[in-house]
Amino acid sequence: MIDFIQTIVSGIAAGSSYALMGLAMVLIYKTSEVPNFAQGELALAASFFAYMIMESFGLSFFLALPCALSFAFLLGCFLEFLVLRRAKTPNILSMIVITIGLEMILLGLVSWKFGADQKTMPFPISPYDSMAIGNIFISTLELVTVFVVLAIMAALYLLLRFSKMGLAMKATQQNTMAARLMGIRANRVLNLTWGLSSVVGAIAGLLIAPTLMHPYMMWDPLLKGFAAAVMGGMTSLPGAVSGAFLLGIIENIFGTYISIEFKAVVAFAIIVIILCIKPSGLFARHYVKKV
Amino acid sequence: MKSKSVLGCLVLSVCLMFGFNTALAEEGITDTEIHIGQWGPQTGPAAAWGSVARGTGAYFQMINAKGGINGRKIVYHMFDDAYNPAKTKAGVKELQEGTGIFAWACGVGTSPGLAVIDYLTEREIPWIGPAAGSLHWITPPRKHLFPVYPLYYNEAKALIRYAVKEMGKTKIAIVYQNDEYGKNGLRGAREELVTHGLNTVVEMPVELKDTDMKSHVMQLRKSGADMVLLWTSVSHAVRIVGTSRAMQFTPQFMSTSTCSDFPLMMHISKGLWEGVICATFGELPDADDPLMKMYKKEAFDAFAAKDERWGLFYYAGILFVEPMVEAMKRCGKDLTRDRLVAELEKLRDFKGIGPKISFKPFDPNDPSSRQGGSQTFLIQCLKDGKAKKLTDWMDI
Repeated sequence: MIDFIQTIVSGIAAGSSYALMGLAMVLIYKTSEVPNFAQGELALAASFFAYMIMESFGLSFFLALPCALSFAFLLGCFLEFLVLRRAKTPNILSMIVITIGLEMILLGLVSWKFGADQKTMPFPISPYDSMAIGNIFISTLELVTVFVVLAIMAALYLLLRFSKMGLAMKATQQNTMAARLMGIRANRVLNLTWGLSSVVGAIAGLLIAPTLMHPYMMWDPLLKGFAAAVMGGMTSLPGAVSGAFLLGIIENIFGTYISIEFKAVVAFAIIVIILCIKPSGLFARHYVKKV
Repeated sequence: MKSKSVLGCLVLSVCLMFGFNTALAEEGITDTEIHIGQWGPQTGPAAAWGSVARGTGAYFQMINAKGGINGRKIVYHMFDDAYNPAKTKAGVKELQEGTGIFAWACGVGTSPGLAVIDYLTEREIPWIGPAAGSLHWITPPRKHLFPVYPLYYNEAKALIRYAVKEMGKTKIAIVYQNDEYGKNGLRGAREELVTHGLNTVVEMPVELKDTDMKSHVMQLRKSGADMVLLWTSVSHAVRIVGTSRAMQFTPQFMSTSTCSDFPLMMHISKGLWEGVICATFGELPDADDPLMKMYKKEAFDAFAAKDERWGLFYYAGILFVEPMVEAMKRCGKDLTRDRLVAELEKLRDFKGIGPKISFKPFDPNDPSSRQGGSQTFLIQCLKDGKAKKLTDWMDI
């Protein structure tokens, strides 16, 4: 029984980093209906930026954190303004291809600037310290990540549900033209969404970097975050978070009790199954767009 | 009659032309140059081992600065394969057929090496010192392939022997990368355990793409292992040790030579690598060895990039090609692939900065005719990232 509870706790801990990436992807999807595959590399760039200012200028983590988040926000806004907005006759497929292109460019730039060797991110909490309740362990960093995920989810939920900005984002997603006619500056909304989602991704990157820091560190969290968002529903913030925790738990149960060798592919099998059975995701409300 | 003579002359000239050409122009060799190739991961999951190829580059630069080998300079062609066998194959083919490579040096990784082994063997192109201790290089032995790296299989045996006989460990678990690299270590460990009347308590495969190690550690903990042998990539080894620490599971960890660059391991693991025991194949970085000091000064200090580090993987790039350079020197001016192979076969107990290297005349039924290095020694990581020698060079 202890083992089973430990498996569940470990699954929730693993799911927390997927959840942050899932939240970031959902944020952009809610506004533009485009899954942003550059999300991982936006986080990567911000994490390496934090690493650079800490290593080169001797800044403490607490000073580097706001700098990195500001950098992430500006980078997100910049890419939306400079690249995505310039796409002629954009459709979803071409936008997805553009985000994949951006992802490759950012990965190349980070690899070129920082090299491929594994780095060590200075961080106030050791990724290998843990807390124990009886015989159940969770690393302190993962516990912090779980709380950060829940806090960000709540903040974003409140923003989207009760602020004008949230309403504008929803309107832009549902009908951009109508939103514009109502006086919503759709481009600005999109721009801010990219910035905001980049910040959420950057937080994920900064929480992953103390354990694993090299140019490919965000691939797995991105793919798992995407899988979690698809599972929970690409338009639902709590859905993405629940999906991520569920994915972490399923992966760990599968790895512990069925097959450790196929643990890594469970996430993708889940994407396929969910897309076949409930394409809108487990927790999202399906809505039909009027044409 | 006249036309027959003309035809005869033509045939003779063609024969002479081709014969003459072959004798003079060995592929990858000119009067002033020797073209040597190497692949190595500068990016991707195995990038930590990328310094092997850079170490070889600095060594060749040192040789060139001293006048080259018998008047010829080494032209070194190194490419990044990102530890991706498909890229290794494409890159080797491109360089071999485009530029023309005389011989291949090192090459990190069992899987990347396996992707090109048949290609190089079929074309009878020498490949010296693969940077992996795989049994595949000598099963069966190949005439033009000269492994220098001690076998992972033997390293695993040495580690298990030490754990059982010297440390009294009986519950031994193995975490291995689920490819040929990991399986070589697994095989050696299993066989050694059987000789002591033991079996593994659990065997855990790790896929290259795995990032979360909690399931692995949970099963290790459940097995009650008192020693865990890690045959994985550097980052997986660190994550397993770290996750074990987080889950308060503290067996003795042991690992392969690929994880024996202690300053790097201590840096990545934030100090958790302390106490881990590894097999290794090269003198220690601060060894009081004249050859090591010379390489440090004349290759590393003179030619390494500014942010490069004098670590095991870096000078392994020198260690693996020392026999090749020695054999090329012994060939004199008449450097051909056949002569290089012949001179390599004459090496007996050749000592550079690694194990003693010996080859024999080629015997397709004798793997030891091609396995140059068979010695290893064990070291333990200390708090400052330095190594404590636990054994001398051992023949396994």
